[in-house]
Amino acid sequence: MAHKVLIIDDEDDIREVAALSLESVAGWEVITANSGAQGLARAQEHKPDAILLDVMMPGMDGPSTFRELRSNPATAKIPVLLLTAKVQSSDQRRFADLGVEAVLFKPFDPLTLSSQIADVLGWS
Amino acid sequence: MDPTAKPDAMAETNLGVKEDLSAAIDKLWIRFLPEIRARVELLQAAATDRGHSAALREEAVAAAHKLAGALGTFNLERGTDLAREYELLAGRSDLPDDAASARLMAIATELGMIVDGRK
Repeated sequence: MAHKVLIIDDEDDIREVAALSLESVAGWEVITANSGAQGLARAQEHKPDAILLDVMMPGMDGPSTFRELRSNPATAKIPVLLLTAKVQSSDQRRFADLGVEAVLFKPFDPLTLSSQIADVLGWS
Repeated sequence: MDPTAKPDAMAETNLGVKEDLSAAIDKLWIRFLPEIRARVELLQAAATDRGHSAALREEAVAAAHKLAGALGTFNLERGTDLAREYELLAGRSDLPDDAASARLMAIATELGMIVDGRK
């Protein structure tokens, strides 16, 4: 059975490349959301196997969205991987301390993004 | 992918997936090129302004951050490095001095060439 992944990112180009990558390389089902608020609704509705969550978004950012996901029993157990273009080590530590499964970095290689996610989640 | 497939067949499948993905990403690049160009133009405008408008500078830092995250995904790794340098340099709290302003302008110009040069 194909895995189902929710991508939450406000940047259209990144969201579409990531979706294309996961669908065409791994054959996974992909749902997308362009904001934290929309992501929370889609997560509750679709119950994805994992969530790829952008850090810097206007309004509700990635860490706030993550906390909301964790506070809702319907989405609390869904593994979340943060996606960020921040490369400074202080930022990386701060993100890792949130309790996410992993922090992945932009830019990503569309050919290997799915294997990075699969490795983290033990889907290989 | 079929786990029982023979190695040659799997290599062919992988090559096919890679080519299809590459072609699809090229199409996305063309679709998003106006947006990407607009971000680079914002960087150029802020560099010309030499940091006097705080709002423009803030917008340029955000645009540089987005470019840093996106360009490498479209195989423009040099673009990511330059955008990241711009983000850090323009994001400092003080107004850029002459050397920093010149560097910001040089980065924005090179980014324009990189973006326009992608096939």
